[in-house]
Amino acid sequence: MGPCDPNFLSCFLIVALPLLSFAVIMIFTWRRHRLSLAISLTCSTIPLILAWSLFFRLKDTVTLAKPIVTQVNWLVSDAVIVPFGFLLDPVSLLMLGIVATISWLIQIYSIGYMEGDPGFARFYADLSLFGMSMLSLVSASGMLQLFISWELVGLASYLLIGFWYEKFSASEAGKKAFVVTRFGDIGFFMGLVFLTFFMKDINIFGLGIFDINNAALTKKLTEAQFTLCALLIFCGVAGKSAQFPIHVWLPDAMEGPTPVSALLHSATMVAAGVYLITRLFPFFAASATAMTVVLVISTITLLLSSTIGMVAKDIKQVWAYSTVSQLGFMAMGLSAAALGGSTLFAGYYHLTTHAAFKALLFLCAGVFIHHFGTNDFFVMSKDGGRKLAIPMVTVTIGALALAGIFPFAGFFSKEAILAQLWHLPNKLWVGLGLFGAFLTAYYTFRVIFVMLFPRKDDDPVWQEYYVREEGGHGHGAHDDDHGHGGHHGVPWVMSFPLIVLAAFTLVLGFLQTPLEKFLLGESHPHEMNYVLLFSAVGCALGGIGVAWLDWGSANARWQGFIRKVPALENFFIQKWYMDHFWRWFLNTFIYGTFSRIFTYNDRRVVDGGVDAVAFSTIGSGRLLSFIQTAFVQLNLLFMVLVLAGVGLYLLMGR
Amino acid sequence: MNVMLFGPELYYLGAALVFFLLSLKRKPEPKADYQIALALGVGGLVVTALCLCQQGELFFKAYRVDLFSQIFKFALALAFFFVLTISHNLAHIEERYHAEFYLFLTTTTIGMMMLVSSVELLTIYVSLELSSYSLYILVPLRRGDGIDVEAGIKYLLIGAVSSGVMLFGLSYLFGATGSTYLTEILPKMPQLVSSPIGVLGLLLALAGFFFKLSVFPFHFWAPDVYQGAANQVTTFIATASKAAAVALMLRLVALGAGYGYSFTKALVILSIVSMTLGNLVAIIQKDFKRLLAYSSIAHAGYFLMGIITMKEAGYIAAVYYALAYLVMNFTVFMVISEVAKDGRDLKIQELAGLWRRSPLLSLSLIVGLFALAGVPPSIGFTGKLLLFTSAMNQGYFWLVLIGAVNGTISLYYYLRVIYASYFTDDPSLGPVAISTPMRILNYALIAIVLGFGVFPDRIVELAKAAVHTVL
Repeated sequence: MGPCDPNFLSCFLIVALPLLSFAVIMIFTWRRHRLSLAISLTCSTIPLILAWSLFFRLKDTVTLAKPIVTQVNWLVSDAVIVPFGFLLDPVSLLMLGIVATISWLIQIYSIGYMEGDPGFARFYADLSLFGMSMLSLVSASGMLQLFISWELVGLASYLLIGFWYEKFSASEAGKKAFVVTRFGDIGFFMGLVFLTFFMKDINIFGLGIFDINNAALTKKLTEAQFTLCALLIFCGVAGKSAQFPIHVWLPDAMEGPTPVSALLHSATMVAAGVYLITRLFPFFAASATAMTVVLVISTITLLLSSTIGMVAKDIKQVWAYSTVSQLGFMAMGLSAAALGGSTLFAGYYHLTTHAAFKALLFLCAGVFIHHFGTNDFFVMSKDGGRKLAIPMVTVTIGALALAGIFPFAGFFSKEAILAQLWHLPNKLWVGLGLFGAFLTAYYTFRVIFVMLFPRKDDDPVWQEYYVREEGGHGHGAHDDDHGHGGHHGVPWVMSFPLIVLAAFTLVLGFLQTPLEKFLLGESHPHEMNYVLLFSAVGCALGGIGVAWLDWGSANARWQGFIRKVPALENFFIQKWYMDHFWRWFLNTFIYGTFSRIFTYNDRRVVDGGVDAVAFSTIGSGRLLSFIQTAFVQLNLLFMVLVLAGVGLYLLMGR
Repeated sequence: MNVMLFGPELYYLGAALVFFLLSLKRKPEPKADYQIALALGVGGLVVTALCLCQQGELFFKAYRVDLFSQIFKFALALAFFFVLTISHNLAHIEERYHAEFYLFLTTTTIGMMMLVSSVELLTIYVSLELSSYSLYILVPLRRGDGIDVEAGIKYLLIGAVSSGVMLFGLSYLFGATGSTYLTEILPKMPQLVSSPIGVLGLLLALAGFFFKLSVFPFHFWAPDVYQGAANQVTTFIATASKAAAVALMLRLVALGAGYGYSFTKALVILSIVSMTLGNLVAIIQKDFKRLLAYSSIAHAGYFLMGIITMKEAGYIAAVYYALAYLVMNFTVFMVISEVAKDGRDLKIQELAGLWRRSPLLSLSLIVGLFALAGVPPSIGFTGKLLLFTSAMNQGYFWLVLIGAVNGTISLYYYLRVIYASYFTDDPSLGPVAISTPMRILNYALIAIVLGFGVFPDRIVELAKAAVHTVL
């Protein structure tokens, strides 16, 4: 199937157009904001249409076992052939549609949000690059192509997180995201290299996704080798999807413009990690040891981020930690499914629903931030956040979905994951999952209740909060540094995506059966597990109820129940001291040991050696230049002598 | 006799006549002379291009016209035209001598054109002298404080000695074979290279070309002449003269193809010494043209590398590199003559802040220097790659290794120039204005250097076809 294959062409256009838009804007039109916007929108609308048309055209023909692979040879050098192409199966088809849709909605939304920013065109160029790399990651047919896109996603996120690079914290956050995820990517790449090394008769360039999932090829590996590769590849997942202990970049990534956070947290950057697990699900599922490690790490991630989310005051921070926790939840679902011999459906389903409602939550937060010029939702509440009707309604819908309340999308997908956990022999996991669900509902509705029921300026609770905030532990609201004031109402370009996403959040839940049928080719009849159902709903409602008591009701003290245990609260506020840990780790081991040794080696051995070579080279230059004297007779004599020497050499050497 | 066969030479002869008449005028009109010269230069390009596919023999088979010679004639016409484009202000040549300048430039071009077509020893010698004599006059034409005269005399003396040595060698060849025709010498080569007289004859006969190419030990003139001659003359010596010398050397050495290991070994030594000496001494130079003179000595070593292989691939590489060298070296010299508008010798530090003074020229400079250093994706990289791979395939590992080390050393002094023009600044130096035609020329040169570096296939094919007509 060559380049003229219509599937190849559509996929190629889906990937190439945003890249083209990036290049054109960066090179030619970066001074002209309107034109750049038009280019970028065109180049994201066409992929949107193409992605969905591909989806509807192929949805009945492809299955997980029989995907459509369409590729051309990109580079050919001797025996090495690097293919470039696309793997279309239900997983990638649906994800293509989702990524294209959410990128498109966010581009629309940003028209309002980024209005008047001097970097408007650059913003759209970066968004295009982000969309392109994610679309290419989703549809890549080979691991090398996937890895390249994976790195491009990292690059684009770096550019966007550090978009307001004049601000020190923003450029620092961009760097942090880049370096931390790169840390995981090294593992990913090493995993690939080891894998191809162990598999012997396949090289990394030709390693297709289909090969990696092919049990016949991978069974050559011993158990230990296999586990090593799977864990190394999971390092990449952990980096991108912000799993413990390298999740620290994600909350800082809030420094970027809010639409970026929305994109980053729903369908692109962080989703890439979980998507990789689903993509390589058969591969991962083959190693029980690796999957157990994944299960443990994802559970820790879930609990850690939920508890931090309970004490954050920045609305974007809360949503960021909720993302981390939901990613942990997805990874739990996938690993549990792998351990229990089940399918990837639950985790993947949560990925899709989460993409919708998390984008929604962030875009709503963006509206508030844009309007009030603060990230602190307590301040937003005081300034009349609930008067913005559309975002307030939609944020509540998103929150209900996040908390897992019927009939919103989150309810169904969470239920599916909990069912996977339930099937594990050890019931501890499902218990922790339920506890996570409880915490999620609690911190989500903490935000909602605070926003919905503001306190007056003279209310003692507000006073107390305010004083505490002033003198407190310095996690103040940092401004989004963005055009605040003077806005009245919400522009339609910003509210339109909210409504669309809210509609998705409502609808997606009821598509569970058709989606499952599409993904797996068959739909398992759901045996209703009433114990689980009720405990899950109970946990969610319980979380909301506690939140109501703490934050919502008229005589709530605006103090979390966690205040009762100050040590624990401080532990959460300090984010489990993870940042401190990494700082200490870097200082002690990296800077203190490795850097010192390497620096010494670099200064003394490498530089010294190079200097010595350079000096001796220059010295010999000076020496040789003495031959070049002003006396032409000496020159001529030298000439003849050399010629005579060469002649003698020739005669003697015969 | 088909006139078209001798077309380019006749055309330039006519041009020389025109310039001669112009030089007779009592009152010099440099502007008008320049217009005429430029027009004739363009005409020469057209004529050589039209004659590109001619084939035949002239003058009792002493003169052969084939693709090989015609390509080099076109290259020479191109170099001639290039030099004219930067001759719009001949600041260091007195106005009354402008017509003479064009005249001798034309005659030396004729000489070189005849050189690349000659297949008979005496014709070769005569053409070589024709091209050299004009240059002997051009070098001291510069209005200066005596350095020009010194350079001119040095050039003349070393040239005369080389010619003498060359004649001596040619006489040995004639004595050993009884013929002056290359085609007749060729079958007798096997016994020739096994006899002392043949080996010595061939070596000494090459002396004239070693001189033109400034191969060690015939390199002494290069630094003084490069610095002492007017910028335009230096440009011509550094571009056209090299290409012609490489062309004829290929013809001559193709004689010895496949024989005489020890003979190539001597060339290997000369090649290594040339490039090492050139590169090392270039490091400490302060005058830009002097630096380029040493760079040309080093490049002579690279050229020899292709010739040493004695194989088709090496010759193709040498032809390619000769053509590439012409363009990239001209790019650098063009920058020199544009920056030094008053015709002075340019010190490297006088390039300070060139990125500010003229962004386009600084871009051309960086492209040209990187090409000379062999940085991809320039035409120089492809040329060096071809040269090195052809030598490597013939088993000259050490030669290639030393060549690569030399490439690294050369990068150092090229980067020094780039450093001066990009990272230092001197507020006292004002902007450099360049006219629109020069602007276009700049763009064209950059496009050629980069374009043919990325897509060298066409040129390589051409070089291959040319080499086939020689072997």
